[in-house]
Amino acid sequence: MTSPSRALLSAVLLLLVSLPSTRASAQAPPSVDGVPIDPEAELVVALTDDTTNLDPRMGMGSIRSNYIRQVFESLVDVDRQGKPVPGLALSWKPVDDLTWEFALRKGVTFHDGEPFNADTVLFNLDRMFRKNLDKHGIKDVPAGTSFEKIYPFVSRWEKVDDSTVRIVTTEPAPTLWDFLGREPLVPRAWTIKHGVEALNEKPVGTGPWKLVEWKRKDHMRFERHDGYWGTAPLTKRLRLQVIPEAAARIAALRAGQVHLVEAVPPLDAEVLGRDASLRVVSSVQKLACRIYLNGRTKDKYESGGRDGVYLDPRVRLALNYAVNRDAIIKKIFHGLALPNASPIATVAYGYAAQAPYPYDPAQARALLAEAGWKPGPKGLVNAAGESLTLQLLLPAKHYGQAFDETVAAVVEMLKAVGVQVSVQTLDFGTLLQTLTRGTLPPNGGFAACRTSNNLDGDDFVRDWATTTLVNWTPYPPELLGLYQATRRQVDGKKRLAALADLQRQVRDWAPVVSLYQEKKAYAHSVRVLRFTPTQELNMDFRGVALRR
Amino acid sequence: MRAFLLRRLVHAVFVVWGVVTVVFFLVRLTGDPAALLVDQTATREEIARTRTLLGLDRPLHVQYLDFLRDAPRGDFGLSLRERRPAMRMVLEHFWPATAQLAFAAIVLSTVLPIPLGVVAATRRDGLVDHASRLGSLFLQSMPSFWLGLMLILLFAVGLGGLLPAYGSGTLRHLILPAVTLAAAPLAQNVRLIRAGMLEVLQHDYVRTARAKGLGERRVVYGHALRNAAVPFLTVSGLSLGFMLSGTIVIETVFSWPGLGRLIVQAVPGRDFPVIQAAVFVFAVLFVAVNLVVDLLQGWLDPRARVFERSA
Repeated sequence: MTSPSRALLSAVLLLLVSLPSTRASAQAPPSVDGVPIDPEAELVVALTDDTTNLDPRMGMGSIRSNYIRQVFESLVDVDRQGKPVPGLALSWKPVDDLTWEFALRKGVTFHDGEPFNADTVLFNLDRMFRKNLDKHGIKDVPAGTSFEKIYPFVSRWEKVDDSTVRIVTTEPAPTLWDFLGREPLVPRAWTIKHGVEALNEKPVGTGPWKLVEWKRKDHMRFERHDGYWGTAPLTKRLRLQVIPEAAARIAALRAGQVHLVEAVPPLDAEVLGRDASLRVVSSVQKLACRIYLNGRTKDKYESGGRDGVYLDPRVRLALNYAVNRDAIIKKIFHGLALPNASPIATVAYGYAAQAPYPYDPAQARALLAEAGWKPGPKGLVNAAGESLTLQLLLPAKHYGQAFDETVAAVVEMLKAVGVQVSVQTLDFGTLLQTLTRGTLPPNGGFAACRTSNNLDGDDFVRDWATTTLVNWTPYPPELLGLYQATRRQVDGKKRLAALADLQRQVRDWAPVVSLYQEKKAYAHSVRVLRFTPTQELNMDFRGVALRR
Repeated sequence: MRAFLLRRLVHAVFVVWGVVTVVFFLVRLTGDPAALLVDQTATREEIARTRTLLGLDRPLHVQYLDFLRDAPRGDFGLSLRERRPAMRMVLEHFWPATAQLAFAAIVLSTVLPIPLGVVAATRRDGLVDHASRLGSLFLQSMPSFWLGLMLILLFAVGLGGLLPAYGSGTLRHLILPAVTLAAAPLAQNVRLIRAGMLEVLQHDYVRTARAKGLGERRVVYGHALRNAAVPFLTVSGLSLGFMLSGTIVIETVFSWPGLGRLIVQAVPGRDFPVIQAAVFVFAVLFVAVNLVVDLLQGWLDPRARVFERSA
């Protein structure tokens, strides 16, 4: 056979072989892991609350993040294991000790077609640091984070070319990639044209979902952004439905009216886990719940001339030894929490595991005695004829029922080692007001939780470095020095070692009574495929599919 | 009649002004909203800056005078949390969500009790009477959030999604929340009508009406009910307040996007403009409904009109 004939025959044979498979692949329904899916479906997710706004500058708390991060993206993205991965920036690196360079992703556009480029980043940095707002003709907003106050060493930012930005600092800033890189970015031209107020109505971002409708306190509807640069959503629509009541969320899931619910209470998680039509999944969160104690010196608050009763670290450590965390996690959380003796969340970068605080009431009493608080009448401990008291402020119903139950249990545990505890329940706003005014009594304390919008643990150990709402036990000079060293150390390994050392020392210095770190439970229908909860404040629906 | 109306309208203006003024100062006594708008790791300086941005650092009397100047135009300022006009937010949540829910519940709790109460009274100690009393007791003693959840479990889960578990927008969505909200006032009204009818049916004029040969239906509905309905009407007017506050619980259970839930979040969030706008709307509604009730009472009971004239 001549070569042309062989080629012709090959072509015919190839055509005959390939035709059925082409037809088959054209007809084959889209599938995930061999399971046919419905790409035109709407994924309905029940959340506990609606966001009050969509402008990232106004705060990135746990409720807001769930909405904002569907529409907006940041330079640094996070994978399902909580590791930083390229987002709108392809890479980031320190050029020298005082300069970071971000190489931006090319070809990305906002939902309205506006290109994402270096000008976008510079505009967002201007907003974050409240610079050049008049030049842009936009207003300032009451911001959740005052970047110019927290990071005053960030001095300027400049465009190298359309896809490269440099940020210059006055001192080494090894975590700059994190605290600036995780902030969601809004469009420049669109915001200037429509005003910052419009970011709170129907904004456009670069994210995987386009906002279609926002019926406040009810639902937010999104459509897949077909021009998305990354892992595309596998359902056409997404609906974030607000169902505040946990029992109603679960009822809606069981009735098949929603596909996925968040914040499943621990007891319900056990029950739902036995239902063959549902799946329960959980992820460790950065939310760390604690009892903060007044360890300020008299010159640092409205003290009436008295130092905080909990100035002595031995007393605070004793209180940590008095808490039976295993019992709390087993009985109240049914395993959906974990103890953590480190000041840094276990899922934050730089976390170093610390020796757990043992539940040891005898050791707690011994430490109290060492600090001068000797056993007295009625099982209380005394010093100079005065009992050790704790006036504990509890923002009831703010962090959920399990938190309130935990605090009640801890109060009894502290009483058992001789601390006289009185609990004052109040609303969260009143607690913040007390802390703002600095009027916590010398024997005062408060129960609260804190989380982080960042990946690096620096956010957690910054708590005791400046006088803030939650800082009632400022670092002593040696710890402050160690902390500041971690902020300036640009060598990655050395910084991690310094952070580990800081965590060990903070664990022993015990600024707070550590209670637990939260695991968040989700339940979903078996129709939902490839949903993995993140360790961040938001859910990620990229790549999530619905079985046909 | 015109003088009466004019007088009541002047009263209404003062009542509404009084209520919003009291609320203006009371909410400011509850504390500073600025700390709620920043991170917990914020310093005093950052909180002070936020306070200045919101205009909350101005003297209280200046804020109040600004409020008095703007409120009559419907301008209650921007929500501190959402940065949108407060009155617009209140009206968005009131209409149609809360209005629909409250209207449906009012209809259920005022219309249904009439035949139920009358039948219970006219068949005193019969099966219907016992069932009605037992049912009323049951509905009145049941917490509304629990009743709501039970109805969701029964109609949304147990009966295979017969009715939706959450949301708004259609008649099917309205049924469960409206029934839950109406349950307690409905039960109360059944008992009121029954008690009123039992008393009125003993009066001489009822015996006279029967002696004249009027049919029992005409005696009961034409003569007795009109008098028995006066206390029922008064209580129904007052129960509007209950309905409006009751929506707060019901809207949470059924994820109903109404005014109740807006207020639930505005109060702990110290969102002063939203609280003031919502209280203004509630006060106007409450005053208006009670004015209508007063007029209806005068129509039902001529003695009330005589009293108004002499007063």
